[in-house]
Amino acid sequence: MVDHTSSAAVNEPGREVAQDGHWIRIVDHFKREWQIYVMLLPMILWFVVFLYKPMYGLQVAFKDYSIFRGVAGSPWIGFEHFETLLYSDQFARALKNTFMISMLSLCFGFPVPIILALMFNEITNQLFKRTSQTIVYLPHFISTVIIAGIVITAFSPSAGIVNQFLQWLGIEPIYFLIKPEWFRPIFIGSGIWQEAGFSSIVFLAAIAGVNPSLYESAVIDGASRWQMMWKITLPSILPTIIIMLIIRIGNLLEVGFELIILLYQPATYETADVINTFIYRQGIQGAQYDLAAAAGLFNAVVAFVLVMTANTISRRLSNTSLW
Amino acid sequence: MAGVHLEGIVKAYGAVQVVHGIDLEVQEKEFVVLVGPSGCGKSTTLRMVAGLEEITAGDVTIDGRRVNRIAPKDRDVAMVFQNYALYPHLNVADNMAFGLRIRRMPKAEIKTTIAEVAQILGLTEYLDRRPADLSGGQRQRVAMGRAIVRHPKVFLFDEPLSNLDAKLRTQMRAEIKRLHNRLGVTSIYVTHDQVEAMTLADRIVVMNDGRIEQVGTPMELFNNPVNTFVAGFLGSPPMNQVRGVLTETGAKVGNSEIKLDAKVNGHVGREVIVGIRPEHVSLRAGDHTSPFPVALDLVEPLGSEALLHARFGDETVVFKTETGGDIAQFSGVDHVHVPASLVKIFDAETGQAMSFGA
Amino acid sequence: MANMNLYSRGDKMFVRLNMLLIAIFTISTLYPFIYIAAVSLSEGSAASAGTVFWRPIGLTLAAYDYVLAEPLFWSSYRNTFIYTFGGTFVSMLIIVPGAYALSKPQLFGRRYFNLFVAFTMWFNAGLIPFFLNMRDLNLMDSYFGLIIAFACNAFNIILLRNFFESIPQSFEEAARMDGANEFQVLWKVYMPLSKPALATIILFCMVARWNGFFWAMVLLKDEQKIPLQVYLRQVIATLADDEEFGLSIIDATYSVETVTAAIMVCSIIPVMIFYPFIQKYFNKGIMLGGVKE
Repeated sequence: MVDHTSSAAVNEPGREVAQDGHWIRIVDHFKREWQIYVMLLPMILWFVVFLYKPMYGLQVAFKDYSIFRGVAGSPWIGFEHFETLLYSDQFARALKNTFMISMLSLCFGFPVPIILALMFNEITNQLFKRTSQTIVYLPHFISTVIIAGIVITAFSPSAGIVNQFLQWLGIEPIYFLIKPEWFRPIFIGSGIWQEAGFSSIVFLAAIAGVNPSLYESAVIDGASRWQMMWKITLPSILPTIIIMLIIRIGNLLEVGFELIILLYQPATYETADVINTFIYRQGIQGAQYDLAAAAGLFNAVVAFVLVMTANTISRRLSNTSLW
Repeated sequence: MAGVHLEGIVKAYGAVQVVHGIDLEVQEKEFVVLVGPSGCGKSTTLRMVAGLEEITAGDVTIDGRRVNRIAPKDRDVAMVFQNYALYPHLNVADNMAFGLRIRRMPKAEIKTTIAEVAQILGLTEYLDRRPADLSGGQRQRVAMGRAIVRHPKVFLFDEPLSNLDAKLRTQMRAEIKRLHNRLGVTSIYVTHDQVEAMTLADRIVVMNDGRIEQVGTPMELFNNPVNTFVAGFLGSPPMNQVRGVLTETGAKVGNSEIKLDAKVNGHVGREVIVGIRPEHVSLRAGDHTSPFPVALDLVEPLGSEALLHARFGDETVVFKTETGGDIAQFSGVDHVHVPASLVKIFDAETGQAMSFGA
Repeated sequence: MANMNLYSRGDKMFVRLNMLLIAIFTISTLYPFIYIAAVSLSEGSAASAGTVFWRPIGLTLAAYDYVLAEPLFWSSYRNTFIYTFGGTFVSMLIIVPGAYALSKPQLFGRRYFNLFVAFTMWFNAGLIPFFLNMRDLNLMDSYFGLIIAFACNAFNIILLRNFFESIPQSFEEAARMDGANEFQVLWKVYMPLSKPALATIILFCMVARWNGFFWAMVLLKDEQKIPLQVYLRQVIATLADDEEFGLSIIDATYSVETVTAAIMVCSIIPVMIFYPFIQKYFNKGIMLGGVKE
């Protein structure tokens, strides 16, 4: 009765069809796609040799390391190095300094790029805007050594421009770089000088993404520029600000220790010595590899927890994971 | 030139099967259009023929050779993509030459081939332009040119016109048809647009939900849809489908009866779906027509024709009729006349077309 | 909105104050560079006495003559070029194909490879195991060691992988149908399509190489192999030591201050030359990564 007019196909479900076996498929896949594995290989090898092998080498933190026996051959001693660190004033000081310096950098350094981005956004003269942006991005591309060189030259007690200025004001010259109380302001200040401009790019991009009709309707409502900045721009870029803040908190232990190594002196260790500089002095300069590796492991674990927490928080807040 | 043979093609992503066993024989030089709603598996099927998707089960044969495990480049097929995939960093000539260079065709030969194809497609003066400087239609032509220069055994088209505006689409459609007539290359064309399918195809394959619903020439499918899906998919506006019950002489729909030519012996009382093409009704009674009362609700004039939207019970039906330049005549319409010979009857339960021995 | 006449008086004040503040910030960013340039061109005695503010006192090229006559300056300058260009080249050689492979959906175990790379952003072994590893691999004190050991980082790889993933799949498919193999797809299609991302990564690599000093200082003992930044650091260290003891070598024409400043200027000049070219890319690049660091 029911008749399939014309050549309708018959598709019974579950009928037998020719299907290649599991292994043929895998072999086939590699035969066809071997090239992407060749492309991947050098990178994976690199990661194994230069990043994962050192993780295996972290075991020296639990060993009495001797150069002659090597990483694997040195005897285990458990948590002895961690105990040593726990009772070490120097390590406690480094820990404290790390947190102090990064917290202070966060408090003073974090708002500057945001303010800068808001200010750049209010400039209507394009030539002025572009010129000043070009200049404030520049220090990001300058090496730490030169930053240190500039700081040392500028803050030098005799020839430095800062002390010349103080003298002109009638103040006694200060030897800033050997004064512990001056180390942090100088370090954080030079960090802001170097990075604030460049960091503002992220916020400027967020501002560029604000819907222009918001401003247009605000203008019609009679809002002033100041009000628009506070009531429209700032709330619009708040998600970006929060994400950036979370990232900063996640990287709290990452203090720019390269600049510290270039700027600190025994006289300023009290306020300047951070975990990584401590590791550098103990381990690489002092050849106490095992102890320094223990300090490094401690650092890495705390950093890992911070980063993971930050990522979880940001995922909750913004529904986007950072990576 | 060669045919393409699909046998029991299945595609599964993990445990999810999206194509449930496709059998299709595409003859040499034939233009076959796969049509269906989005997600029906038509693109996936095409991509399995191209070699861009692995075939979970079944066989694809091109020109008598099983190609399941042969790389796309060695299948001797060319494909036109929905977004054209023109390399933005290369000009028109280099875009078309890309495949030929990779296949190490001699430079002089490349040059003549490109010139020839550009001539056919009317692209000669645009050869050194970048895709960004071309109009939509020109980009479409370059995409086809890139396929043509390789002289493949089979052309595959994956919704090639869906990025064009309506006017260009009509124009390019005709151009593809002309090109196929000229080159006579076996072609498989995927689209969701039934007008494209009707106008281009030698044979249409209507797909739904990973299965083939019906295969046939455009007119076969239009005149004798095997089920309500095909009936509703082809034709614009689509076939009206109203519920009814079979009687001795026809089908009772609401309070009126639509007469049928065929005898429904033995099926009286059966619930069915009555299919009436919008263009098959008329406003005047004729031989073998039955009156069909409707409540007119909206008239959409198209010029020489008009669409009458009407309510029938709680269902909406659409009819297409000549205007003769005047739509005021429709204001009093309260019924239309349905010719007995053109009414289609489908089983209400299965949706399959029913035909009755004369 | 650029028409000042439309602004109220308060808005005009606001705009002008804002411009003034930006100008101050810009000048204070620029000033150290001017100051260093002025010191490098001044007479040694003037520099040591601290009388240089923004223009050279007793204009002289003596410091530059001294620097340019120093063989170590030239060898370190040459080394910096080797590390910068060689290092960036090696980085791209590993990163580009690697990121491409990671972007391919057909890669078996792709999720795990991605995690393998990304994990190193969250956890790394630290200075000491890395240092011991370099020693075990016999890569201390060698050009190759310094170049290869810093060739990759997860951030650049992920940035590039994300960019590759954003390229419509049909480009690769079209190229494959045209007969291209993976290497050809990468070289002839993906790389030309990824110019902004590649420029950004090349920029990041080059800047990091040009400015890097810590590991060069730690790993290189041979003076002939040190890059400019390590050499500069040695010179600055002398400067700092001299300060500590309150004496500087005062010469009529050059002093420690002017010589140091001259080396700094020499190190900044190539950055300044490249800067306008790279500038148009880094806006884009920062956005590509979504967020940096």
